[in-house]
Amino acid sequence: MSAALAPAFAGFLRNARDELNARFAEARRLHPDLDGDGFAAFLRGTVDPLVRAVEAAAPAGAADVARAGYALGLELVGQGLSGPAGREPLIEEGWREVGTAAPALLAAAPERVLSAIGNAVHHLAATPGARPAEWIAAMRALAPRCADPELFLTLGAVAAWRAGMAHFRAGALAAADRLPPGLALAAVRAPSDDWPAVRERLAADPWFDPAAATPAAGLRVVARAGAFRGFGGLFVEPPTAAAAGGHFLVRSGEECWLLTADAFGATFHRATAAERADTRLASVPPGVTASGTTLSAGGARLELPELGEIGGVAANGSTLALTSPFSHVVVIVALA
Amino acid sequence: MGLLDALQRVSQSPTNPHAPAAPRTFDVADLYRGPLAAPAEGGAAQGPPLDEKLRQAYFWIVNTAIISPHYDVELNDGPPQSFSLGDSRSRLTLPSAQSYSSFALLPLLTFATRRKCLFVGGPGRGKTASAVLMGVLAGYPVREVRRAMQHGHPQMTVADLLGNPLPADLVAAQKIEDIRIAWRSWLGMRVKVIDEYNRIPTRTQSALLTVMGDNYAEILNHVFECPEAAWYLTANDETGGGTYPVIEALRDRIDVIVQALSFNPRFLADLLARIEADVRPEEVVPRQIVFTEQEVDRLQEEARAVPIPADVGRRLEFFASQFEFCEVAAEQWEYKTKDTARLSGVEWNAVTALETGRDRLKDLGCQSRNGLSVRVLMALLVYAKALAYFRGNRVVELEDVRQVLPFVLHDKLLPDLDAPFFAAAGNEVFRTDRVGWLRRVFDLSCADYERLNLDRDDPVAQLTAEFRRGLGGVTEAQTRSRLVAIERLVAEWSRGRKLYGHLYDDLLVLKYLHQRYTNYLRWLKTQ
Repeated sequence: MSAALAPAFAGFLRNARDELNARFAEARRLHPDLDGDGFAAFLRGTVDPLVRAVEAAAPAGAADVARAGYALGLELVGQGLSGPAGREPLIEEGWREVGTAAPALLAAAPERVLSAIGNAVHHLAATPGARPAEWIAAMRALAPRCADPELFLTLGAVAAWRAGMAHFRAGALAAADRLPPGLALAAVRAPSDDWPAVRERLAADPWFDPAAATPAAGLRVVARAGAFRGFGGLFVEPPTAAAAGGHFLVRSGEECWLLTADAFGATFHRATAAERADTRLASVPPGVTASGTTLSAGGARLELPELGEIGGVAANGSTLALTSPFSHVVVIVALA
Repeated sequence: MGLLDALQRVSQSPTNPHAPAAPRTFDVADLYRGPLAAPAEGGAAQGPPLDEKLRQAYFWIVNTAIISPHYDVELNDGPPQSFSLGDSRSRLTLPSAQSYSSFALLPLLTFATRRKCLFVGGPGRGKTASAVLMGVLAGYPVREVRRAMQHGHPQMTVADLLGNPLPADLVAAQKIEDIRIAWRSWLGMRVKVIDEYNRIPTRTQSALLTVMGDNYAEILNHVFECPEAAWYLTANDETGGGTYPVIEALRDRIDVIVQALSFNPRFLADLLARIEADVRPEEVVPRQIVFTEQEVDRLQEEARAVPIPADVGRRLEFFASQFEFCEVAAEQWEYKTKDTARLSGVEWNAVTALETGRDRLKDLGCQSRNGLSVRVLMALLVYAKALAYFRGNRVVELEDVRQVLPFVLHDKLLPDLDAPFFAAAGNEVFRTDRVGWLRRVFDLSCADYERLNLDRDDPVAQLTAEFRRGLGGVTEAQTRSRLVAIERLVAEWSRGRKLYGHLYDDLLVLKYLHQRYTNYLRWLKTQ
């Protein structure tokens, strides 16, 4: 026998029964596969803990949280993202973990906070290379330090960058400036207490990891991105890379991707038509040569036996993207 | 240049120029965009652009609220698939671009522009429900919209419509200013719904006309100023054949007319599901598509700001100039209009019987019994802009004008069903199909415009442009030269050319220009 619902949640469901039934019927019309039992399991397993947490911390907000959880849950379960057969179980985990850790925030703006968590987890999960579980953990730890929902959303942006969304780098750095320095440092996992200094290094060096005990330097592999599609990756054949602004364009067969990379991660994005048509070749910095599996730069040498043979070198400021006719991996190398 | 230099010369870069792709920028706010619609917070800036929101509202209505939409506003971005069916070879077109349902689109454009829309069609086809939906989109609770709806009935008084003087004040007041009025709440709403307006008694219609036309209500010298609003009226019979005839001025205030088309029984299962679930669309309108008052203000401004290019404007001018001209209506040039004939009270058939010489089949003006008023043209421009805005276009296209035109002119351009056009083979259907006729007559007008090559050879446009550059610094000799140019053009046109509406209007412009230059010349002589 399953545990009883939180009193506030049970009361809400009882009092708003007609309205909720109408909403469910309307949602079922939009999503004919919406399963009543599955939605009930979602309410019990995900919304109930949220209402319970809010009932304990801010009882006045419990009904609003229940209403928001019900309405947004209908969307999630209706779209097949959540519920027992949901395609994206991390969304429910995100709601439970982050929502119960910050009940005051949830009570202040339930719909805004829940939709932000749901959308952010969905976005991270759908971005190849990002780490949604890491984002959930970071937000669970840091959300209680946010005074209001606006700060919570700002923190979420920085945490998403830290969880692998390298393409958010510029926006996240700007967002971090709006956080209290202590929270900004915690979001990027910097043990330092000098945010301006950390921020300056983050802006200057994409390969600076504030969490590292000793800063790495010199010619080194900083990331490996992409894999054969048969193993869950993106590429149907070994890719080639070219520089594109601050990023790389990676082509594999008929497909083309924009690769963004920094110390926190590497993410792929479908290239736009304009990016695909941009056929400019990258110029490799002087002194950088590749022969067989050896990369040489400024007197330093790096052996990359995993590539079999270095087939292409694309350069982008402080970063190289190496590809091989024998591998589906793009090896990212920092120059300094 | 020596041979060596020539051999060493390298072509300047870029040798094969490509527009480089702009560096991709990523918006960190994308993190919070996804399957869950976030509530608007901290103002409208965080929501989608308003044209996008308007489209979201449209698609919610056609995909969710209306069970069997008809895609009669057909748009194409390539050749559409077209089929001929049945004995009459009726044409069914499968449009190649996003097309729309007029029954949902026109009310939404009315909402965005705060104009006046009349729903017509048989009972039980969703006219009132659609009007209520528009009230909900404006942010009013369903119950409030329903309560504020004015239901036309034969006993409806002005007091029913506008409000009552307070009884206590009527007894105690020493002067009329002391009598307070209990105004009806609907007067203050930004979406006004008048159900079955053709059942309202004539006197009450006049009071309604004041509110619709001048946006205020008056009782016992007290005035209630109404906010700008979108109006939705319904009628079972568009010709006003309700309990009372609709006064012409009231009908003239209506900007667009849309017909509620029939229910397709193939969608009966959806209807059944709705009955069983006891769900009414207006009660479950998503919050994301509800507009605030400020958003509707911005919608109106943004739609109004969509420009109409000169070539589209010229085609509309050409079309509009086809209809007012009536050669036999008067002796003096300025009065040769259908309005002159109408005001005279002479039977229309008697007037058309006097027409000679012109090809009445070819002359588009012969197809109508009236011309287009300024109010109609303004509505046409506003709705064309609104459609372009709704479609996300930066400028109005000819297709925008073509698509809204039948709904704006539906009740305004009256066909002369005795005209030869309607008796011609294949045109009989236009006796009953007002929308089809108006679209056809616009197409014919545009074809005529192309045939006359008016984009490239339009002397009146050139003379007008020259005049609009201003008279400052124009010398006496130049003025005389321009006067001669006008006189030559009129003389040329007078040599055996038949008169059509567009020529009549052009000649009026030439007379106007001639008069302005004549006055200027007279002034110059005094300097």
